[in-house]
Amino acid sequence: MDNTVDSVDGHSVDPPDGEVPPVDAVETTDEVTVEDDTELERTIGLVGGLAIGIGTMIGAGIFVFPGIAAGEAGPAAALSFAIGGVVALLVALPASELATAMPRSGGGYYFISRGLGSVYGAVVGISLWLGLVFASAFYLVGFGEYAGAAMAEIGITLPGGSSVVLGVVFGAILTVFSATGTENAAKLQNFIVGFLLLILSIFLTYGSLDAVGVFGSGTVPETFAPEGQFAILTTAALVFTSYLGFAQIATVAGEIKSPDRNLPLAMVGSVIVVTVFYVATIFVATSTLGSDALEGFGETAMVEVGREFFGTGGAVAILLAGLLATFSSANASILSSSRAIYALSKDALLPARASEINLRYGTPHIALALAGGPIVVLTATGQVELLAEVASFLHLVMYGLICIALIVLRRNPPDWYDPDYRMPGYPVLPVVGAVASFGLIVFMQQWSIIVGTIIMLLAVVWHRYYAREVRLKGVL
Amino acid sequence: MNPTIIVPVRVLEGEGIERGVVDLLADARVVLVGYHALPEQTAPGQARQQFEERAQDRLADLAEQFESVGASVEKRLVFTHDEDKSIDRIADEVDADGTLVLNPATEMEQVLVAVRGDVILDRIVDVTGGLLHDTDISITLLHVATTESEVDGEALLDQTAAVLQEQGVDADRIESRIETSGTPLDRIAEVADEHDAIVLGESNPSVTTFLFGQTSQKVADRFMRPVVRVRQPRASDGADADIADAARESSDGVGEER
Repeated sequence: MDNTVDSVDGHSVDPPDGEVPPVDAVETTDEVTVEDDTELERTIGLVGGLAIGIGTMIGAGIFVFPGIAAGEAGPAAALSFAIGGVVALLVALPASELATAMPRSGGGYYFISRGLGSVYGAVVGISLWLGLVFASAFYLVGFGEYAGAAMAEIGITLPGGSSVVLGVVFGAILTVFSATGTENAAKLQNFIVGFLLLILSIFLTYGSLDAVGVFGSGTVPETFAPEGQFAILTTAALVFTSYLGFAQIATVAGEIKSPDRNLPLAMVGSVIVVTVFYVATIFVATSTLGSDALEGFGETAMVEVGREFFGTGGAVAILLAGLLATFSSANASILSSSRAIYALSKDALLPARASEINLRYGTPHIALALAGGPIVVLTATGQVELLAEVASFLHLVMYGLICIALIVLRRNPPDWYDPDYRMPGYPVLPVVGAVASFGLIVFMQQWSIIVGTIIMLLAVVWHRYYAREVRLKGVL
Repeated sequence: MNPTIIVPVRVLEGEGIERGVVDLLADARVVLVGYHALPEQTAPGQARQQFEERAQDRLADLAEQFESVGASVEKRLVFTHDEDKSIDRIADEVDADGTLVLNPATEMEQVLVAVRGDVILDRIVDVTGGLLHDTDISITLLHVATTESEVDGEALLDQTAAVLQEQGVDADRIESRIETSGTPLDRIAEVADEHDAIVLGESNPSVTTFLFGQTSQKVADRFMRPVVRVRQPRASDGADADIADAARESSDGVGEER
């Protein structure tokens, strides 16, 4: 075989004896992955990675949840978001270690199938695909609410229920666009995220100063936790959907430049950034309008907060930001979902056809349809809370298993397990992370747990009948 | 010394390599980069899974064409979201002297070399000499004199021709030409019409090139035949502008005698 790529980065393609992975000869450098003489370019930098994480997450926590969360927990919803942030951070750390050990596309699915075996892999892979589908539908319902509110703002009153229609239509458009090639959407994503962070920073700085009484009189704080402490936890379980983005960075791990450095920084960094923004948003929103008023405004409560501060201009700015944020979340989730399908079909857990690439557009049109189709159907239900919680449920199971996979791999490391980033606090933190991830599920609504469990059982059945022979444990 | 030339090919789009290009690079170390660019929705590994075999076969066919005339060929296959970045990376890895813009050319008789009075000229001349000294392809040295030119055009061309002769190019194959009006882009494109290929240098990266693009890229876009873009020597190479300096000295000397 022609071996002209040996010289990449001065290393040999052939790993030393005893470390030979059974499938491909793989060489990973900062810029490229070389598999059997074929180079796969890494093109996403740290900024791109952060934009994927923050862009996926920030849509929900700030622009959809404040009204709902304040209604359920009062000002203590800020604490709910903080709890979610801590759980996310507890998972981001082991996910970072695993991602630097296995910088391959597929994210959580890849770690778990390699660390724990194909049954867990199949369940998590299918959960990841559908979890992202539920999440995307949730963002699109939010988008529909913002689109409806924007129409109302310019004087067009639509009949009730039409915001769901807007979400459905937009979901269909988004799916078609991603299947027919949207050039430079990644650059656009970077700009959108930068723009959102700027608007939000201005808003939250002004709002915080206002709340503590720098402008005019300080607001009188209402009871911190009017609904009690249990509500804080159930709200944390509900709003956890706001933290589903960081693991998406790992689904494109194979395309991240300098993965040793950029994967941990992007995952941990994006969780910290959005946590700060979420907590600040709830603080400002509840201080400004009060929980009851926020609850009344529902998904678009932040628009009214904007109006309170800066009049119509403020409302329009938040409307615009909300449209962009929910759009970027939905878009990123559709793409990640299609990556999850690719990872599954590569390992023969789904038919190979599922990740087939369209010759005309160069896009994985079947995978995108398998993501976009169910997204549109789920968006049509308009069930914000159910969609959010099922998405969180499916992700939280994966997060818990990521922590367990880390413990398993650390206790009995295979030859190839050599992460460049090692998480601190082993074994305590991954154990706490696993318990916290599974624990949060307990506080969800009954129907969310039922739907989530049914999906996982179906995944087990699928594995049993379609992919029983597939062995993935330890196959890098 | 044989110059290292990167030849990027869109490997799945049936882009062929014609005889003229093969003749031009017969004495080069050819690094054949087969690439397939993907939209961001598609993981490069996903495309690899589906297209690798076809791409490797096709790359091998293309490589054979160069090998048949005695060029040494290295093959690289890359799936990427950003082909420019991949090509640059590989160019750095193999320390390439130039990149070929692969336009068709059925024959190779006349090559235009754009001569400018700066650091890159030494490398342009090395690449030209390295590729052409052993052929009977004729060379037109073109200098577009602009008002900012620091070096006398005639002296520059004389010096360039002299160095080419040292490298084994017969004097009667070299023709020199100076244009004194218009922009380099227009003049090069105009004169190039009578030629089968162009050799020119990349510009120094600057705000202008960032905003408006590289002249060399624009020439390549306009000219429908092959273009060899000679790469800027990296700062760490500590390259000196030998030819330009020599030309400056000789023209200064002329001035003093008067």
